[in-house]
Amino acid sequence: MTPPDGLAAPSAPAPPSAATLAVEPLPRHAPPRGPIATLKKHTKILRVSLSERMTYRSDFLLGTILRFLPLVTTILLWKSIYESSGKSELAGFRYREMIAYLLLTHISRMFSSMPGLAAGIARDIREGTLKRYLIQPVDMIAYLLSYRVAHKLAYITMSIIPYVALFGVCRGYFDGIPGPLTLAAYAVSLVLSFFVGFYFEASVGMVGFWFLEVTSLLYIVMTLNFFISGHMLPLDLLPSPWSTILKALPFQYMAYFPAVVFLRKITGWNLVLHLLLELTWAVVFMVLSRGLYRLGLKRYSAYGG
Amino acid sequence: MLANVAKYLRLLGHLARYTLNRELAFRGNFLVKVSVEVLWLGIMIAFYRTVFARTSNVAGWSEPDYFFFVGCYFALNGLVETLFFENCNEFAELVRTGDLDFLLLRPIDEQFLVSLRRIDWGTAPNVLMGAALMIIALVQKGWEFDLVRVVTFFVTMACGTAIAYSFMLILTTFTVWMVRNQSLMEMWWMFSSLARYPKEIFSGRWAEPLGNFFTYIVPILVVCNVPSNVMVRVLDPYMVVLTIVAAVVLLWLSRRFFQYALRSYRSASS
Amino acid sequence: MIEVDQLNLVTSEFMAIVEAIGLTKTYRVFQKKEGVLGALRGLYRRDYREVCAVDEISFTIEPGEMVAFLGPNGAGKTTTLKMLSGLIYPTSGEARVLDFVPWQRADLFRRQFSLVMGQKNQLWWDLPAADSFQLHREIYSIPQAEFAKTLGELTELLGVAKLTRQAVRELSLGERMKMELIAALLHGPRLLLLDEPTIGLDVVAQAAIQKCLRDYHSQRGVTMLLTSHYMRDVEALCDRVLVINRGGMVYDGPLAGIIEKFGESKLVKLQFEGLAPDDLGRFGQVVRREGPFADIKIERSRVSEILSAVLERHALADVTVEDPPLEEIIAKVFEEARLDHDAA
Repeated sequence: MTPPDGLAAPSAPAPPSAATLAVEPLPRHAPPRGPIATLKKHTKILRVSLSERMTYRSDFLLGTILRFLPLVTTILLWKSIYESSGKSELAGFRYREMIAYLLLTHISRMFSSMPGLAAGIARDIREGTLKRYLIQPVDMIAYLLSYRVAHKLAYITMSIIPYVALFGVCRGYFDGIPGPLTLAAYAVSLVLSFFVGFYFEASVGMVGFWFLEVTSLLYIVMTLNFFISGHMLPLDLLPSPWSTILKALPFQYMAYFPAVVFLRKITGWNLVLHLLLELTWAVVFMVLSRGLYRLGLKRYSAYGG
Repeated sequence: MLANVAKYLRLLGHLARYTLNRELAFRGNFLVKVSVEVLWLGIMIAFYRTVFARTSNVAGWSEPDYFFFVGCYFALNGLVETLFFENCNEFAELVRTGDLDFLLLRPIDEQFLVSLRRIDWGTAPNVLMGAALMIIALVQKGWEFDLVRVVTFFVTMACGTAIAYSFMLILTTFTVWMVRNQSLMEMWWMFSSLARYPKEIFSGRWAEPLGNFFTYIVPILVVCNVPSNVMVRVLDPYMVVLTIVAAVVLLWLSRRFFQYALRSYRSASS
Repeated sequence: MIEVDQLNLVTSEFMAIVEAIGLTKTYRVFQKKEGVLGALRGLYRRDYREVCAVDEISFTIEPGEMVAFLGPNGAGKTTTLKMLSGLIYPTSGEARVLDFVPWQRADLFRRQFSLVMGQKNQLWWDLPAADSFQLHREIYSIPQAEFAKTLGELTELLGVAKLTRQAVRELSLGERMKMELIAALLHGPRLLLLDEPTIGLDVVAQAAIQKCLRDYHSQRGVTMLLTSHYMRDVEALCDRVLVINRGGMVYDGPLAGIIEKFGESKLVKLQFEGLAPDDLGRFGQVVRREGPFADIKIERSRVSEILSAVLERHALADVTVEDPPLEEIIAKVFEEARLDHDAA
């Protein structure tokens, strides 16, 4: 019953199979950022799986058709909601903005979701493969981070074309592209949401040092996150105490916040303040994950790794 | 004939018992599964409460009516997932490893074995939760008991389950030809998103033909719509008949398709 | 009132259990093209080549026979078994098994035979074997009394009575195979098809399974068709051997016949009074020469002639004449068949 989106592979909500529509595969040069070698490797892997995908025709066709259905029904649902309410604005969102918001949260999720991160950490702890981090001069968190960065970059690059296509089709819901300052703020919010997502899920994974079945915990957290991050509806829509509470929590940065930045719902110094808040949360989780890691390692080696 | 039915029922009883034992052996895991489902229901309720705080109806459905619909969806989806989902998910793996052969060896209908091998008790409480939601919605609505409606409701629910199952089987059957394992879970999630909302949201120049397509040609929309309408809104005899006919036709079609796929599997493998 | 078993025995006297006529199976292997462009082409047109797994195989098996299918990997043994089980359609040819056309998969047909595949698990994985057996009982409609009796006998025979309440995945490979065998025999099949049943098992487990099969065969007269790599299985169980190579039948007859037909040489083991001489090479291929011992491979027809020659010249303490190991003979058979095939 739970959407696959919320759990295992939230990086792939809107059409990865639409990626197969793209004939020209990939950028000729890697973007000038991050560990280039890992990027190249991931690009190659994705290219191979791309061609593998195209080999299986029915897979490809069926997958493509099915990807668009939830989007269609979501749009129709909100259209009905707005029409039935008789109002042109709900919690400051007009109908078109609402659809734009929901599309944008997909982009935020693309940056902030970390499929398999916590589960991988928990598995390393459980199976003892964590030892290599103790023996080798490799910092586990730094290693995982660089891996994620490369993977994300490759994934995002792969998805640019289908997303551009999707947004092109849906451009009627947007009021054009916002100005350069907003775009810059948006970019920053997305990058920070990556870090918030990463360090948050890393922290959850670290709980595996104390609690073996942390994947169950993760399952529950991720299901909850689906709602409280604003992926289903803008947090402003919620009634009074909830709206404020959730907008004070860090989960909003994983879906809600970047979307509303793009839609110019937050501007000026308020925007700067919130970006700083986002940065703070990222740092908080970073410290938390590192702290838990250190504590966990002590406990781990105490029990004879 | 009757002896046969009895045999299949007994077999189902055994399978249900064994899978329940297995599930209870991993109690913690079971509880987590159920908690996640409860959470998910909670989220759906929260979502719609938020929406209904701002509007008195959605596509003509009042709040209690809509919540009845949600309960109906949750219960029906829970039923389909409990009985069939895990089995259909495994089907691709069976084909890939060739273990499907062992199911083909038994003097038992293969569709039965493929569809009902395991019962996923983790989602069974969903049926109860959905039922509870439906009852609450009825009470809130001040619904008056009407035996005809109730009976028709159960009939159309059963048909809706059969229709959903048929579509799931058709999707599963495709995996015989798909060499790579396209996630059935993903496919089902997307397809069933059509059943998740009242048909009335399909209004407007483009949407209405789409809605009609998914009602009369690929009748996934009737699955939850008709039982819910029957109970709390309009009991339209034409739609009831349509649902029953669709169930029968789809069961037959999906079975034929499944058997065709098995023949193809048996021609192609070695 | 004749019981079904007796009836079967009566009719079985008059018909072959398995009859295969020109069974052929070819299938397509799709070629994947390289690169993205090739993959694009793959969307609308795929190249394939045809593989012939089984090529016009014909044979008959009478009730009560124990027959072995021998052949190298990929020879078509498993494919043939699967066709006889009705699991796959042949490309051409006919077969009748237990008087049914197997690929029509009649319920009554499926009730009367069993297929056991080595290293593959037919039992429910995380249930105890006992539960799987119960399910079997229901599936095959075995009467309760008969079920209890047969189960008791089989678990006793294989020595696994205490393990039936353990989850199958916790059992060792040997124990699992024994459970598989029990499940296959519970419903009293008339035909037992075994595909590499003892593969991966230790010698003790192999012996136990061989014994069980022999005992079951002598008690119930079940017809058995098995494929195996292990000569020990074949020697222990089967009187008749069908040798298959590259989809075609190469030999069909008693096991001893293979040795006679294909065993061209014998292994003559000599123990000399003094040191073994070093000129034995002219008699045949010297396989071993250590101190007083020498093993020579000599052509069958020349064995007595050479032995007398050796005896004339040297003093021998001991002489043994053996057939080379069956594996070697079989390997030779395959090699010859391959050469024939390539030449043709």
